[in-house]
Amino acid sequence: MATACTGRGLSFLRSLTCHVRGTALSGRPPAGLHTSAALEVNKNWERRNLQLYPPQLPGEPRRAAEVHHCRRQIKYSKDKMWYLAKMIRGLSIDQAITQLEFNDKKGAKIVKEVLLEAQDMAVKNHNVEYKSNLYIAESHSGKGKYLKRIRYHGRGMFGIMDKVYCHYFVKLVEGPPPAVEPRTGLDQAQEYLLGLRSRTVRHSL
Amino acid sequence: MAVPLRRTLIALHRATCNNLKSADGWVDVRQPHPLVVPVRGKKRHFIPPAVGIKEKTKADPEARARAAGLVFRQQYVERSINISCTAGIFDPYIPPEGDARLSTLSREGLKQRTEQLRQSAASQLAIRKIKEHDPLFNTKTFPELAQDIFIQAHMALTQFNKEKLHSLVTERCYPEMTRGNRLKTIRWSFVESLEPPRVVHARCPDMVTKTNLYGQVTLRMHSRQILALYDRFGRLLLGSEDEPKDVLEYLVMERHVVNPYGRWRLHGKIVPAWAPPKDPIMKTVLIPGPKLKPGEDFDALQFEVPKPQSVQWSK
Repeated sequence: MATACTGRGLSFLRSLTCHVRGTALSGRPPAGLHTSAALEVNKNWERRNLQLYPPQLPGEPRRAAEVHHCRRQIKYSKDKMWYLAKMIRGLSIDQAITQLEFNDKKGAKIVKEVLLEAQDMAVKNHNVEYKSNLYIAESHSGKGKYLKRIRYHGRGMFGIMDKVYCHYFVKLVEGPPPAVEPRTGLDQAQEYLLGLRSRTVRHSL
Repeated sequence: MAVPLRRTLIALHRATCNNLKSADGWVDVRQPHPLVVPVRGKKRHFIPPAVGIKEKTKADPEARARAAGLVFRQQYVERSINISCTAGIFDPYIPPEGDARLSTLSREGLKQRTEQLRQSAASQLAIRKIKEHDPLFNTKTFPELAQDIFIQAHMALTQFNKEKLHSLVTERCYPEMTRGNRLKTIRWSFVESLEPPRVVHARCPDMVTKTNLYGQVTLRMHSRQILALYDRFGRLLLGSEDEPKDVLEYLVMERHVVNPYGRWRLHGKIVPAWAPPKDPIMKTVLIPGPKLKPGEDFDALQFEVPKPQSVQWSK
Protein backbone atom coordinates (compact mmCIF):
# COMPACT_ATOMS: atom_id res chain seq x y z
CA MET A 1 0.00 0.00 0.00
CA ALA A 2 2.92 2.30 0.67
CA THR A 3 4.18 1.78 -2.84
CA ALA A 4 0.84 2.74 -4.28
CA CYS A 5 1.30 6.39 -3.33
CA THR A 6 4.01 8.78 -4.39
CA GLY A 7 6.29 10.30 -1.84
CA ARG A 8 4.22 13.43 -1.64
CA GLY A 9 1.01 11.53 -1.22
CA LEU A 10 2.58 9.42 1.49
CA SER A 11 3.63 12.45 3.50
CA PHE A 12 0.14 13.89 3.08
CA LEU A 13 -1.38 10.65 4.40
CA ARG A 14 1.09 10.65 7.26
CA SER A 15 0.12 14.20 8.14
CA LEU A 16 -3.56 13.17 8.09
CA THR A 17 -2.95 10.25 10.40
CA CYS A 18 -0.92 12.51 12.68
CA HIS A 19 -3.91 14.80 12.94
CA VAL A 20 -6.16 11.87 13.79
CA ARG A 21 -3.82 10.60 16.47
CA GLY A 22 -4.38 13.64 18.60
CA THR A 23 -3.69 12.31 22.08
CA ALA A 24 -0.48 10.81 23.33
CA LEU A 25 -2.15 7.51 24.21
CA SER A 26 -3.44 6.31 20.82
CA GLY A 27 -0.60 4.35 19.28
CA ARG A 28 -2.74 1.23 18.91
CA PRO A 29 -4.09 -0.08 15.61
CA PRO A 30 -7.54 1.29 14.67
CA ALA A 31 -10.58 -0.31 16.28
CA GLY A 32 -11.80 -2.10 13.15
CA LEU A 33 -8.52 -3.89 12.48
CA HIS A 34 -8.05 -7.28 14.10
CA THR A 35 -4.52 -8.54 14.72
CA SER A 36 -3.65 -11.80 16.42
CA ALA A 37 -2.49 -11.81 20.02
CA ALA A 38 0.94 -13.04 18.95
CA LEU A 39 1.62 -9.91 16.88
CA GLU A 40 0.30 -7.28 19.30
CA VAL A 41 2.90 -6.17 21.79
CA ASN A 42 2.04 -4.40 25.01
CA LYS A 43 3.75 -1.00 25.25
CA ASN A 44 1.86 0.30 28.28
CA TRP A 45 4.93 0.84 30.40
CA GLU A 46 6.41 3.26 27.85
CA ARG A 47 3.06 5.05 27.55
CA ARG A 48 3.14 5.92 31.23
CA ASN A 49 5.86 8.44 30.43
CA LEU A 50 3.44 10.37 28.22
CA GLN A 51 0.95 11.13 30.99
CA LEU A 52 0.50 14.85 31.52
CA TYR A 53 -0.55 16.16 34.93
CA PRO A 54 -2.42 19.47 35.33
CA PRO A 55 -0.51 22.38 36.86
CA GLN A 56 -0.30 22.28 40.63
CA LEU A 57 -1.93 24.92 42.80
CA PRO A 58 0.47 26.98 44.95
CA GLY A 59 -0.62 25.32 48.21
CA GLU A 60 -0.11 21.72 47.06
CA PRO A 61 3.03 19.75 47.97
CA ARG A 62 5.42 19.41 45.06
CA ARG A 63 4.60 16.35 43.01
CA ALA A 64 7.55 13.98 42.66
CA ALA A 65 8.80 13.29 39.14
CA GLU A 66 8.41 9.70 37.91
CA VAL A 67 10.27 8.02 35.10
CA HIS A 68 9.21 4.67 33.65
CA HIS A 69 11.79 2.75 31.67
CA CYS A 70 12.05 -0.78 30.38
CA ARG A 71 14.10 -3.03 28.16
CA ARG A 72 12.36 -5.66 26.03
CA GLN A 73 13.43 -9.10 24.86
CA ILE A 74 16.52 -9.53 27.02
CA LYS A 75 18.13 -12.92 26.47
CA TYR A 76 17.80 -14.01 30.10
CA SER A 77 15.37 -15.93 32.22
CA LYS A 78 12.57 -13.97 33.91
CA ASP A 79 12.99 -16.00 37.08
CA LYS A 80 16.70 -15.25 37.25
CA MET A 81 16.03 -11.59 36.48
CA TRP A 82 13.51 -11.48 39.33
CA TYR A 83 16.30 -11.92 41.88
CA LEU A 84 18.06 -8.80 40.62
CA ALA A 85 14.83 -6.82 40.41
CA LYS A 86 13.94 -7.77 43.99
CA MET A 87 17.41 -6.88 45.21
CA ILE A 88 17.25 -3.26 44.04
CA ARG A 89 13.65 -2.47 45.07
CA GLY A 90 13.55 0.55 47.38
CA LEU A 91 17.23 1.45 47.07
CA SER A 92 18.49 4.82 45.94
CA ILE A 93 19.77 4.84 42.38
CA ASP A 94 23.44 5.24 43.30
CA GLN A 95 23.27 2.34 45.75
CA ALA A 96 21.47 0.17 43.22
CA ILE A 97 24.06 0.87 40.53
CA THR A 98 26.90 0.08 42.94
CA GLN A 99 25.31 -3.20 44.01
CA LEU A 100 24.71 -4.27 40.42
CA GLU A 101 28.24 -3.40 39.39
CA PHE A 102 29.68 -5.93 41.82
CA ASN A 103 27.11 -8.64 41.13
CA ASP A 104 28.32 -11.58 39.08
CA LYS A 105 25.09 -12.36 37.24
CA LYS A 106 24.65 -11.75 33.53
CA GLY A 107 21.46 -9.80 34.12
CA ALA A 108 23.19 -7.40 36.50
CA LYS A 109 25.07 -5.70 33.66
CA ILE A 110 21.85 -5.26 31.68
CA VAL A 111 19.88 -3.92 34.63
CA LYS A 112 22.67 -1.46 35.39
CA GLU A 113 22.55 -0.18 31.79
CA VAL A 114 18.78 0.24 32.04
CA LEU A 115 19.12 2.20 35.28
CA LEU A 116 21.74 4.52 33.81
CA GLU A 117 19.59 5.12 30.73
CA ALA A 118 16.59 5.88 32.93
CA GLN A 119 18.63 8.30 35.04
CA ASP A 120 19.82 10.09 31.91
CA MET A 121 16.26 10.29 30.55
CA ALA A 122 15.01 11.66 33.86
CA VAL A 123 17.51 14.50 33.88
CA LYS A 124 17.17 15.40 30.20
CA ASN A 125 13.48 14.85 29.44
CA HIS A 126 11.55 14.74 32.70
CA ASN A 127 12.86 17.80 34.55
CA VAL A 128 14.61 16.01 37.38
CA GLU A 129 17.03 18.39 39.02
CA TYR A 130 19.58 16.16 40.69
CA LYS A 131 20.43 12.84 39.13
CA SER A 132 21.23 11.24 42.50
CA ASN A 133 17.92 12.29 44.01
CA LEU A 134 16.11 9.27 42.57
CA TYR A 135 15.06 5.98 44.09
CA ILE A 136 13.69 2.79 42.65
CA ALA A 137 9.99 2.66 43.39
CA GLU A 138 9.04 -0.32 41.21
CA SER A 139 11.24 -2.93 39.60
CA HIS A 140 10.09 -6.22 38.13
CA SER A 141 10.71 -8.62 35.29
CA GLY A 142 8.26 -10.05 32.82
CA LYS A 143 8.15 -12.87 30.28
CA GLY A 144 9.17 -11.99 26.73
CA LYS A 145 8.31 -13.79 23.48
CA TYR A 146 10.03 -17.18 23.49
CA LEU A 147 11.55 -18.94 20.49
CA LYS A 148 10.91 -22.68 20.30
CA ARG A 149 13.53 -25.21 19.34
CA ILE A 150 13.86 -28.99 19.41
CA ARG A 151 15.75 -30.75 22.11
CA TYR A 152 16.56 -34.29 21.01
CA HIS A 153 16.16 -37.11 23.50
CA GLY A 154 16.94 -40.79 23.14
CA ARG A 155 14.68 -43.32 21.43
CA GLY A 156 13.41 -40.79 18.92
CA MET A 157 11.76 -38.70 21.59
CA PHE A 158 12.01 -34.95 21.60
CA GLY A 159 11.16 -32.04 23.76
CA ILE A 160 10.34 -28.49 22.75
CA MET A 161 13.07 -26.26 24.11
CA ASP A 162 12.17 -22.66 24.89
CA LYS A 163 14.75 -19.98 24.19
CA VAL A 164 13.78 -17.68 27.01
CA TYR A 165 13.55 -13.91 26.78
CA CYS A 166 12.44 -11.47 29.43
CA HIS A 167 11.52 -7.82 29.84
CA TYR A 168 12.77 -5.66 32.66
CA PHE A 169 10.71 -2.73 33.99
CA VAL A 170 11.81 -0.02 36.37
CA LYS A 171 10.16 3.10 37.78
CA LEU A 172 12.33 5.81 39.27
CA VAL A 173 10.81 8.45 41.52
CA GLU A 174 12.44 11.70 42.56
CA GLY A 175 13.30 12.10 46.20
CA PRO A 176 15.13 10.23 48.95
CA PRO A 177 14.28 6.52 49.27
CA PRO A 178 11.42 5.92 51.71
CA ALA A 179 12.57 4.71 55.12
CA VAL A 180 11.61 1.09 55.71
CA GLU A 181 10.85 0.20 59.31
CA PRO A 182 12.65 -2.99 60.20
CA ARG A 183 10.14 -5.65 61.22
CA THR A 184 11.60 -8.11 63.67
CA GLY A 185 10.27 -11.57 64.48
CA LEU A 186 8.95 -10.22 67.76
CA ASP A 187 6.90 -7.58 65.95
CA GLN A 188 5.43 -10.18 63.65
CA ALA A 189 4.58 -12.44 66.56
CA GLN A 190 2.88 -9.58 68.40
CA GLU A 191 0.86 -8.70 65.31
CA TYR A 192 -0.20 -12.33 65.00
CA LEU A 193 -1.36 -12.42 68.59
CA LEU A 194 -3.25 -9.15 68.08
CA GLY A 195 -4.98 -10.62 65.08
CA LEU A 196 -6.01 -13.69 67.04
CA ARG A 197 -7.31 -11.66 69.96
CA SER A 198 -9.35 -9.29 67.81
CA ARG A 199 -11.40 -12.05 66.24
CA THR A 200 -15.15 -11.82 66.72
CA VAL A 201 -16.77 -15.11 67.53
CA ARG A 202 -20.27 -15.37 66.11
CA HIS A 203 -23.16 -17.57 67.18
CA SER A 204 -21.34 -18.76 70.22
CA LEU A 205 -22.83 -19.74 73.52
CA MET B 1 8.61 -52.24 19.97
CA ALA B 2 8.36 -52.79 16.21
CA VAL B 3 9.79 -56.34 16.38
CA PRO B 4 7.26 -57.90 18.76
CA LEU B 5 4.41 -56.24 16.77
CA ARG B 6 5.66 -57.82 13.58
CA ARG B 7 5.84 -61.21 15.18
CA THR B 8 2.24 -61.00 16.35
CA LEU B 9 1.15 -59.86 12.90
CA ILE B 10 2.84 -62.80 11.23
CA ALA B 11 1.31 -65.12 13.79
CA LEU B 12 -2.11 -63.59 13.17
CA HIS B 13 -1.72 -63.97 9.41
CA ARG B 14 -0.72 -67.61 9.70
CA ALA B 15 -3.57 -68.32 12.09
CA THR B 16 -6.19 -66.85 9.77
CA CYS B 17 -4.76 -68.69 6.76
CA ASN B 18 -4.70 -71.98 8.64
CA ASN B 19 -8.27 -71.54 9.82
CA LEU B 20 -9.51 -70.87 6.35
CA LYS B 21 -7.60 -73.73 4.79
CA SER B 22 -9.14 -76.20 7.23
CA ALA B 23 -12.70 -75.26 6.15
CA ASP B 24 -14.11 -77.86 3.66
CA GLY B 25 -15.46 -77.37 0.12
CA TRP B 26 -14.58 -73.73 -0.21
CA VAL B 27 -12.15 -73.56 -3.08
CA ASP B 28 -13.11 -70.06 -4.27
CA VAL B 29 -12.31 -68.42 -0.98
CA ARG B 30 -9.79 -65.73 -1.43
CA GLN B 31 -6.90 -65.27 0.85
CA PRO B 32 -7.93 -62.65 3.42
CA HIS B 33 -6.13 -59.33 3.08
CA PRO B 34 -3.75 -58.95 5.92
CA LEU B 35 -4.62 -56.30 8.50
CA VAL B 36 -2.69 -53.18 7.52
CA VAL B 37 -1.21 -51.54 10.54
CA PRO B 38 1.05 -48.55 9.92
CA VAL B 39 4.50 -49.29 11.16
CA ARG B 40 6.44 -46.42 12.61
CA GLY B 41 9.62 -45.80 10.69
CA LYS B 42 12.40 -43.24 10.88
CA LYS B 43 10.39 -40.48 9.22
CA ARG B 44 10.28 -37.27 11.32
CA HIS B 45 6.70 -36.15 11.70
CA PHE B 46 7.42 -32.81 13.26
CA ILE B 47 10.03 -30.70 11.57
CA PRO B 48 10.85 -27.66 13.71
CA PRO B 49 11.03 -24.23 12.08
CA ALA B 50 14.79 -23.93 12.71
CA VAL B 51 15.55 -26.85 10.43
CA GLY B 52 15.58 -25.87 6.77
CA ILE B 53 16.32 -22.19 7.26
CA LYS B 54 19.76 -22.55 5.65
CA GLU B 55 18.20 -23.74 2.39
CA LYS B 56 15.64 -20.94 2.54
CA THR B 57 18.27 -18.23 3.06
CA LYS B 58 20.45 -19.59 0.23
CA ALA B 59 17.58 -19.48 -2.26
CA ASP B 60 16.92 -15.98 -3.48
CA PRO B 61 13.49 -14.91 -2.12
CA GLU B 62 13.14 -12.27 -4.83
CA ALA B 63 13.63 -14.79 -7.62
CA ARG B 64 11.16 -17.15 -5.98
CA ALA B 65 8.57 -14.39 -5.64
CA ARG B 66 9.00 -13.40 -9.27
CA ALA B 67 8.66 -17.02 -10.34
CA ALA B 68 5.49 -17.27 -8.28
CA GLY B 69 4.09 -14.28 -10.10
CA LEU B 70 4.25 -11.72 -7.29
CA VAL B 71 4.79 -8.25 -8.73
CA PHE B 72 5.81 -5.20 -6.70
CA ARG B 73 4.92 -1.80 -8.02
CA GLN B 74 7.84 0.52 -8.61
CA GLN B 75 8.82 2.32 -5.41
CA TYR B 76 9.16 6.06 -5.81
CA VAL B 77 11.76 7.56 -3.53
CA GLU B 78 10.61 11.12 -3.39
CA ARG B 79 10.96 13.81 -0.83
CA SER B 80 8.20 16.33 -0.54
CA ILE B 81 8.82 20.03 -0.11
CA ASN B 82 6.46 22.58 1.26
CA ILE B 83 5.90 25.62 -0.93
CA SER B 84 3.41 27.48 1.23
CA CYS B 85 6.17 29.15 3.24
CA THR B 86 9.86 29.93 3.03
CA ALA B 87 12.46 28.30 5.19
CA GLY B 88 13.79 31.40 6.92
CA ILE B 89 13.80 35.14 7.23
CA PHE B 90 15.46 36.82 4.25
CA ASP B 91 17.48 39.95 4.92
CA PRO B 92 16.40 40.17 8.55
CA TYR B 93 15.66 43.43 10.21
CA ILE B 94 18.44 44.60 12.53
CA PRO B 95 16.73 46.37 15.41
CA PRO B 96 18.59 49.52 16.45
CA GLU B 97 20.34 49.24 19.76
CA GLY B 98 18.65 50.91 22.66
CA ASP B 99 15.16 50.51 21.28
CA ALA B 100 12.58 50.91 24.07
CA ARG B 101 15.32 51.41 26.62
CA LEU B 102 16.55 54.51 28.37
CA SER B 103 19.81 55.33 26.65
CA THR B 104 22.35 58.15 26.66
CA LEU B 105 21.32 59.08 23.11
CA SER B 106 18.69 61.75 22.66
CA ARG B 107 15.15 60.51 22.58
CA GLU B 108 14.26 62.51 19.53
CA GLY B 109 17.13 61.14 17.46
CA LEU B 110 16.13 57.63 18.36
CA LYS B 111 12.52 58.30 17.40
CA GLN B 112 13.59 59.70 14.08
CA ARG B 113 15.70 56.70 13.30
CA THR B 114 13.18 54.12 14.30
CA GLU B 115 9.98 55.66 13.02
CA GLN B 116 11.02 56.48 9.54
CA LEU B 117 10.15 53.56 7.38
CA ARG B 118 10.79 55.62 4.29
CA GLN B 119 14.51 55.37 4.88
CA SER B 120 14.66 51.86 3.62
CA ALA B 121 13.99 51.83 -0.11
CA ALA B 122 13.98 48.08 -0.26
CA SER B 123 11.13 47.98 2.26
CA GLN B 124 9.13 50.44 0.21
CA LEU B 125 9.69 48.39 -2.93
CA ALA B 126 8.63 45.26 -1.12
CA ILE B 127 5.46 46.91 0.17
CA ARG B 128 4.65 48.09 -3.36
CA LYS B 129 5.08 44.54 -4.68
CA ILE B 130 2.83 43.17 -1.95
CA LYS B 131 0.17 45.81 -2.72
CA GLU B 132 0.22 44.76 -6.38
CA HIS B 133 -0.91 41.28 -5.53
CA ASP B 134 -2.94 42.11 -2.43
CA PRO B 135 -4.71 45.48 -2.81
CA LEU B 136 -6.16 45.31 0.72
CA PHE B 137 -2.73 45.49 2.35
CA ASN B 138 -2.11 48.73 4.20
CA THR B 139 0.75 49.59 6.52
CA LYS B 140 -1.66 51.45 8.78
CA THR B 141 -4.22 48.67 9.31
CA PHE B 142 -1.94 45.66 9.01
CA PRO B 143 -0.30 45.88 12.46
CA GLU B 144 -3.66 45.46 14.22
CA LEU B 145 -4.43 42.37 12.17
CA ALA B 146 -0.98 40.99 12.88
CA GLN B 147 -1.36 41.50 16.61
CA ASP B 148 -4.70 39.73 16.44
CA ILE B 149 -3.11 36.78 14.66
CA PHE B 150 -0.30 36.73 17.22
CA ILE B 151 -2.72 36.62 20.15
CA GLN B 152 -4.89 33.94 18.56
CA ALA B 153 -1.86 31.82 17.69
CA HIS B 154 -0.60 31.88 21.26
CA MET B 155 -4.06 31.07 22.65
CA ALA B 156 -4.21 28.10 20.25
CA LEU B 157 -0.79 27.06 21.53
CA THR B 158 -2.00 27.02 25.13
CA GLN B 159 -4.95 24.82 24.18
CA PHE B 160 -2.78 22.95 21.67
CA ASN B 161 -5.33 23.26 18.91
CA LYS B 162 -3.25 21.97 16.02
CA GLU B 163 -5.61 22.81 13.16
CA LYS B 164 -6.06 26.41 14.25
CA LEU B 165 -2.36 26.79 14.91
CA HIS B 166 -1.48 25.60 11.42
CA SER B 167 -3.77 28.20 9.90
CA LEU B 168 -2.26 31.04 11.96
CA VAL B 169 1.39 30.08 11.88
CA THR B 170 3.64 28.99 9.00
CA GLU B 171 5.09 25.53 8.67
CA ARG B 172 8.54 26.83 9.53
CA CYS B 173 7.35 28.47 12.74
CA TYR B 174 5.13 25.62 13.92
CA PRO B 175 7.86 23.18 15.04
CA GLU B 176 9.75 25.98 16.76
CA MET B 177 6.65 26.93 18.73
CA THR B 178 5.59 23.42 19.62
CA ARG B 179 8.83 21.47 20.07
CA GLY B 180 8.99 19.91 23.49
CA ASN B 181 5.64 21.38 24.46
CA ARG B 182 3.48 18.30 24.17
CA LEU B 183 4.37 17.19 27.68
CA LYS B 184 4.25 20.67 29.15
CA THR B 185 1.38 23.00 30.10
CA ILE B 186 1.63 26.58 28.87
CA ARG B 187 -0.39 29.38 30.48
CA TRP B 188 -0.16 32.57 28.46
CA SER B 189 -2.25 35.69 28.36
CA PHE B 190 -1.96 39.05 26.67
CA VAL B 191 -2.55 41.82 29.20
CA GLU B 192 -2.26 44.98 27.10
CA SER B 193 -0.27 46.64 24.37
CA LEU B 194 2.04 49.37 25.66
CA GLU B 195 2.72 50.91 22.27
CA PRO B 196 0.72 50.51 19.08
CA PRO B 197 2.44 47.94 16.89
CA ARG B 198 3.95 49.16 13.65
CA VAL B 199 5.60 47.87 10.52
CA VAL B 200 9.37 48.41 10.60
CA HIS B 201 10.67 46.30 7.74
CA ALA B 202 9.39 44.50 4.67
CA ARG B 203 10.94 42.21 2.11
CA CYS B 204 9.50 40.33 -0.82
CA PRO B 205 11.84 37.48 -1.73
CA ASP B 206 11.16 35.15 -4.63
CA MET B 207 11.84 31.42 -4.61
CA VAL B 208 13.06 29.48 -7.65
CA THR B 209 11.32 31.72 -10.23
CA LYS B 210 11.08 35.50 -10.34
CA THR B 211 7.28 35.47 -10.11
CA ASN B 212 6.97 33.20 -7.07
CA LEU B 213 6.86 35.94 -4.42
CA TYR B 214 6.58 35.66 -0.65
CA GLY B 215 5.96 38.74 1.40
CA GLN B 216 7.74 39.04 4.76
CA VAL B 217 6.81 41.96 6.97
CA THR B 218 8.48 42.70 10.30
CA LEU B 219 6.48 44.35 13.06
CA ARG B 220 7.63 45.90 16.26
CA MET B 221 5.40 45.11 19.22
CA HIS B 222 5.78 46.38 22.78
CA SER B 223 3.30 44.71 25.08
CA ARG B 224 2.66 43.26 28.49
CA GLN B 225 2.23 39.50 28.70
CA ILE B 226 1.89 36.79 31.33
CA LEU B 227 3.66 33.51 30.73
CA ALA B 228 3.87 30.50 33.04
CA LEU B 229 5.35 27.18 31.90
CA TYR B 230 4.64 23.97 33.80
CA ASP B 231 6.41 20.67 33.22
CA ARG B 232 4.85 17.23 32.87
CA PHE B 233 4.10 16.93 36.60
CA GLY B 234 2.49 20.35 36.94
CA ARG B 235 5.48 22.04 38.57
CA LEU B 236 6.41 25.57 37.62
CA LEU B 237 9.36 25.74 35.24
CA LEU B 238 9.43 29.34 34.15
CA GLY B 239 7.58 32.60 34.72
CA SER B 240 4.64 33.24 36.97
CA GLU B 241 0.91 33.63 36.50
CA ASP B 242 0.59 36.77 38.61
CA GLU B 243 3.41 38.95 37.32
CA PRO B 244 3.00 40.49 33.85
CA LYS B 245 6.19 41.24 31.97
CA ASP B 246 6.94 43.98 29.43
CA VAL B 247 7.98 42.41 26.18
CA LEU B 248 9.49 44.05 23.12
CA GLU B 249 9.21 41.75 20.14
CA TYR B 250 9.98 41.88 16.45
CA LEU B 251 7.54 39.58 14.70
CA VAL B 252 7.87 38.45 11.12
CA MET B 253 4.64 37.77 9.25
CA GLU B 254 4.71 35.96 5.95
CA ARG B 255 2.31 35.39 3.09
CA HIS B 256 2.58 33.63 -0.23
CA VAL B 257 1.28 36.69 -2.11
CA VAL B 258 1.01 34.98 -5.50
CA ASN B 259 -1.39 32.41 -4.05
CA PRO B 260 -4.95 33.84 -3.99
CA TYR B 261 -5.77 31.71 -0.94
CA GLY B 262 -2.66 32.70 0.94
CA ARG B 263 -2.97 34.25 4.37
CA TRP B 264 -0.75 36.34 6.55
CA ARG B 265 0.75 34.03 9.14
CA LEU B 266 3.34 34.33 11.87
CA HIS B 267 6.68 33.24 10.45
CA GLY B 268 9.14 33.93 13.24
CA LYS B 269 10.58 36.33 15.74
CA ILE B 270 13.82 38.28 15.65
CA VAL B 271 15.79 38.34 18.87
CA PRO B 272 18.27 41.25 18.78
CA ALA B 273 21.85 40.89 19.93
CA TRP B 274 21.34 43.42 22.69
CA ALA B 275 18.31 41.66 24.15
CA PRO B 276 18.49 41.32 27.95
CA PRO B 277 19.01 37.81 29.27
CA LYS B 278 15.88 35.88 30.17
CA ASP B 279 14.95 35.03 33.73
CA PRO B 280 16.79 31.98 35.09
CA ILE B 281 14.83 28.70 35.29
CA MET B 282 13.95 27.24 38.66
CA LYS B 283 16.35 24.38 38.37
CA THR B 284 20.05 23.65 38.80
CA VAL B 285 21.65 22.56 35.58
CA LEU B 286 24.92 20.67 35.27
CA ILE B 287 27.30 22.42 32.89
CA PRO B 288 29.81 20.00 31.41
CA GLY B 289 33.34 20.80 32.49
CA PRO B 290 36.46 20.99 30.35
CA LYS B 291 37.93 17.84 28.85
CA LEU B 292 40.90 16.88 30.97
CA LYS B 293 43.91 14.86 29.91
CA PRO B 294 44.83 11.98 32.21
CA GLY B 295 46.85 13.40 35.05
CA GLU B 296 45.35 16.88 34.91
CA ASP B 297 43.38 18.27 37.78
CA PHE B 298 40.19 20.28 37.54
CA ASP B 299 40.73 23.74 38.99
CA ALA B 300 37.30 24.95 40.05
CA LEU B 301 38.47 28.49 40.86
CA GLN B 302 40.13 29.12 37.51
CA PHE B 303 37.29 27.65 35.45
CA GLU B 304 35.00 30.21 33.80
CA VAL B 305 31.49 29.24 32.86
CA PRO B 306 31.18 29.86 29.08
CA LYS B 307 28.70 32.62 28.31
CA PRO B 308 26.61 32.59 25.14
CA GLN B 309 27.58 34.98 22.36
CA SER B 310 25.37 38.02 21.92
CA VAL B 311 24.32 37.55 18.33
CA GLN B 312 21.08 38.42 16.66
CA TRP B 313 19.12 35.30 15.86
CA SER B 314 15.65 34.61 14.59
CA LYS B 315 13.31 32.27 16.34
